[in-house]
Amino acid sequence: MNPKPRILVVDDESQITRVLRTSLTTHGYDVRTAADGVSALETFKDWRPDLVVTDLAMPNMDGLELCRQLRAVSQVPIIVLSARGEEKAKVQALDLGADDYVTKPFGIDELLARMRAALRRATMPAANEAAMTLLEAGDFQIDLEKRSVSVRGREVHLTPKEFELLVYFMRHAGKVLTHRTLLGAVWGGNYTEQSEYLRVFVGNLRKKIEPDSVKPRYILTEPWVGYRFDSQGA
Amino acid sequence: MKSRAFEKSRTGYLVAVGSLAIVTAVLKLFGVHINLTTVALVLLLIVLFVATGWGAGPAIVTSLLGVLCINFFFLPPYHTFSIADPENWVALVSFLVTAITAGQLSVRARRRAEEAESGRNEIERLYQELRDAFERASHAEALRKSEKLKSALLDAVTHDIRTPLTSIKASVTTLLDEARGKAGDGGPLVLDAESRLDMLSVIDEESDRLNRFVEGLIELARIEAGEMRLRRGWESVDEIIATALTRAGSLTGRHRVSTEIEEDLPVVRVDPRAVGEVVYTLVDNATKYSPQGTTIRIIARRHDEEMIEIAVEDEGQGIPLSLRERVFDKFFRATNDGDGAAAHYPSGTGMGLAIARGIVEAHGSKIWIEDNAKRKGTRFVFTLPIGDDEITKVMSDE
Repeated sequence: MNPKPRILVVDDESQITRVLRTSLTTHGYDVRTAADGVSALETFKDWRPDLVVTDLAMPNMDGLELCRQLRAVSQVPIIVLSARGEEKAKVQALDLGADDYVTKPFGIDELLARMRAALRRATMPAANEAAMTLLEAGDFQIDLEKRSVSVRGREVHLTPKEFELLVYFMRHAGKVLTHRTLLGAVWGGNYTEQSEYLRVFVGNLRKKIEPDSVKPRYILTEPWVGYRFDSQGA
Repeated sequence: MKSRAFEKSRTGYLVAVGSLAIVTAVLKLFGVHINLTTVALVLLLIVLFVATGWGAGPAIVTSLLGVLCINFFFLPPYHTFSIADPENWVALVSFLVTAITAGQLSVRARRRAEEAESGRNEIERLYQELRDAFERASHAEALRKSEKLKSALLDAVTHDIRTPLTSIKASVTTLLDEARGKAGDGGPLVLDAESRLDMLSVIDEESDRLNRFVEGLIELARIEAGEMRLRRGWESVDEIIATALTRAGSLTGRHRVSTEIEEDLPVVRVDPRAVGEVVYTLVDNATKYSPQGTTIRIIARRHDEEMIEIAVEDEGQGIPLSLRERVFDKFFRATNDGDGAAAHYPSGTGMGLAIARGIVEAHGSKIWIEDNAKRKGTRFVFTLPIGDDEITKVMSDE
């Protein structure tokens, strides 16, 4: 049996860390908690958790700064607990490298599902991406050398930018990708404010890969934030 | 408009004729002895009067009629329009020219005055308009500010409601998973008794916290609407402090609490429940913002002739000068100093000190923060009115 995944929960509200500690422990995780970013970083260095769940508004280093500092030293998955009204901070956190977010108040199952997805992504074999020529996941097969794409066994023709966008989605499947992140990754740093580009390309890509582009299954919209790619099309 | 102007000039002509007739009659009473110069001057006066009141037309008519009057009644031969002395011709023509010129001048002066008047009216109107515009603008500004304040308050309120809701929801969904016999990933979920109890107590505590928050909101709204009703009575300070400390007993377990109450403190005329709430809030705050094991001091003594003061001191970080007013604002919360003192208690509602200030001010007293003279930490002080001295004496004798 695998050792229990280690989860670091960071929130200045003691009742929330208390509930999450009890609930996540019962769900088979090894849990530690911290009340602010500074002590979270300390725990992180000593304990090396597999996943960090953090609140945004905290004294002594908030969630944003924590994301920044964690990303400087680690690729550990980060899930942000945000409240409605903290959209800006949430997007910033995702831009800084957080993987996902859950809006307060949340049911424990939602958090658990996000945690499982993030842990799954993190434990996927760390392939040498640059050397790989074939990307396969769910309904998608992408040959990076031939630049060919097939969805559900059917070949689709993509423009170069659509191809790059899809490859980026594939490589970051399940993760919430902000408009800014996608624009920077596919079009380059000068275009990070041009979210209308992105909307057009996502629209075109959906028409080519989605069975029903009105009800997308693969490229999911995260309202006001960005997109999330699901190769299974669940 | 036109008919009014016509009416006005008709009145002018009537006045001209009437006043000339009256003045001539009066002057005639003095008989032949009256000096011609006097007559001319009096008539000139009438011309000026008519010119000022009714304008050029009536003034000219008055001048001409005046010439006729002088000629007919005051120049020999009397009661004829002939003139004996050629020198009188000169006088008469001079009178006519003077009368008409003076009349025109006075009409012009009046017009100028009217123009100046209307100019002033115009300026006043513009000023009024400008002021209205400014008022509208500042009203809009105030509205914008109050909207901003409202949304800041809303943020604070939603945070205070959402945080306990988050704990409750996470607990309840965990318990639901167990009750349904499966976790989110399909596997069975078994909570041990301790965890279940923990979840249930979180739900219990957080429901209380929500309720406290709502009660605080109501209390604050009452204070802000000026509807706070004090049930004043004569009360001893010892009693108030003791009651508040008993109530705060569950909070102060990790701190030492000492009380120093001056001997012979007079009784105070206050609402004991409300003042007890103030003491409780200050002690509660002290436990939150000072490390475990430190001492919280409650000191009561005479402030001056009319007031006693109660101070609550802690040995925490203290409050920087810049925040000493703001901590009394509703929903303001100092961040925990990070030493873990508050880790075992849900943090406050952000309304305690605002309510405390409301209560103290309703008593006509003051609450403030000062440096702790002897050691680091915060010192909250508030005063209470002693009230009528004689009654106080009687009460203390009993």
